[in-house]
Amino acid sequence: MNPTSGPGEEPAGAPRPVRRAVLRAVFTAAVLAGTGGALAPVLLQGQGPGGPGQERDAVGPERFSELYKGREIRGTATTVVPAGAQAHAGTSIAAPAADVSVDGRTLHVMRRADGSYLSTVTHYESFPTLLETARAAVDELGTAQLSAVSPHTI
Amino acid sequence: MHSRKNQRDLTRTEKKRLVDAILELKRSGRYDDFVTLHRQYYVTDGESRPRPAHMTPSFFPWHRQYLLEFEKALQSVDPRVSVPYWDWTRDNTAKSSLWAEDFLGGNGRPGDRQVMTGPFAYRRGGWRIRAEVTDDHFLRRNFGRPSAPVTLPGAAEVDRALGDPVYDTAPWNSVSATGFRNRIEGWGIRGGRGIANHNKVHRWIGGSMAGAASPDDPVFWLHHAFIDLLWTRWQKAHPRARYLPARALPADDPQRDRIFPLDRPMPPWDVAPSQLMDHTRLYRYV
Repeated sequence: MNPTSGPGEEPAGAPRPVRRAVLRAVFTAAVLAGTGGALAPVLLQGQGPGGPGQERDAVGPERFSELYKGREIRGTATTVVPAGAQAHAGTSIAAPAADVSVDGRTLHVMRRADGSYLSTVTHYESFPTLLETARAAVDELGTAQLSAVSPHTI
Repeated sequence: MHSRKNQRDLTRTEKKRLVDAILELKRSGRYDDFVTLHRQYYVTDGESRPRPAHMTPSFFPWHRQYLLEFEKALQSVDPRVSVPYWDWTRDNTAKSSLWAEDFLGGNGRPGDRQVMTGPFAYRRGGWRIRAEVTDDHFLRRNFGRPSAPVTLPGAAEVDRALGDPVYDTAPWNSVSATGFRNRIEGWGIRGGRGIANHNKVHRWIGGSMAGAASPDDPVFWLHHAFIDLLWTRWQKAHPRARYLPARALPADDPQRDRIFPLDRPMPPWDVAPSQLMDHTRLYRYV
């Protein structure tokens, strides 16, 4: 039940555990890092090892803010990994809460089983990271602005 | 029983009837209901909800029924109309008659991607889309996506899919690396192939067709009629092959309740894939 069972399970090369937080590469992060290149490992913030009632750990794997083709893109992913989740091939173990915006307007993102992302703007192609998803949306938008009233589809 | 023709063979009168029927569905509000329905049932395989339409074995039967419903709506306006198909392996440039002034109109302009020609240009007054993806009410296209160019799939890409003797494979979603269904639906496989066929066509047109409200572009129906025809061609090429999965998956399979085996009714029509295996009593391709 304890999702942060210690450094013994860490893949080689993973960052060392730090105080009150255990860094651990989970399935999605491994996939993302393998293709995205520049992605930081997932940070699992344990709320106290083995604490009773601990079912979920909040994770912050990706955060960016940049000017891309004159558009301000921002993104934060908070990945929630159920305790004790096993990485099934083709099964997403992470329920993401991703906040992505273009010029301050929300870009709604969805996720594929391999952990990649698609958005309401690029619905038929996915990208390994939120940053690439946001950039692809800007490419497709041209000078258009995202809808202010876009229904949430996650 | 009616016929679905290759769009390149339509007469001027047939094109006009089809366009007029589409515009009438738009005027009455029924067209936008179809757009909403597609969006509603586009569930990704990152979710645990049932997904009848995309990233799923029932991609073909779900869209077959969706097209039938749309065609029925068109025929309630004009019984002489049917949905033509667009063979994008053949008519694969912006110069195709498909994109002419008298049919679907052409590419979007630079900048905001607004379609300025044909009956679905905003300024003609008959085609106002809801601002669900962008803030704009005009149809957008971005042929070939110049920022990262993509070409329409060729015959070889289609043939690779048609040559796969198995309908679909585990894990029955967008990461199924083999099987006719995902080769046509066309999700990219990490470390394997890029997007293909169905998905690539959505990307090539770009703009509205690339997004969550893709049926906002009437070419959606012509594209999916061809996808539907490819399913029929695959069945003919592999007469002993069957829709898969034929039965419900084992209880411990995470996909069990998310996908639609042969006899599980699909929402919103409560029609099972098994009821849609053969279209020849309803329409034929000519």
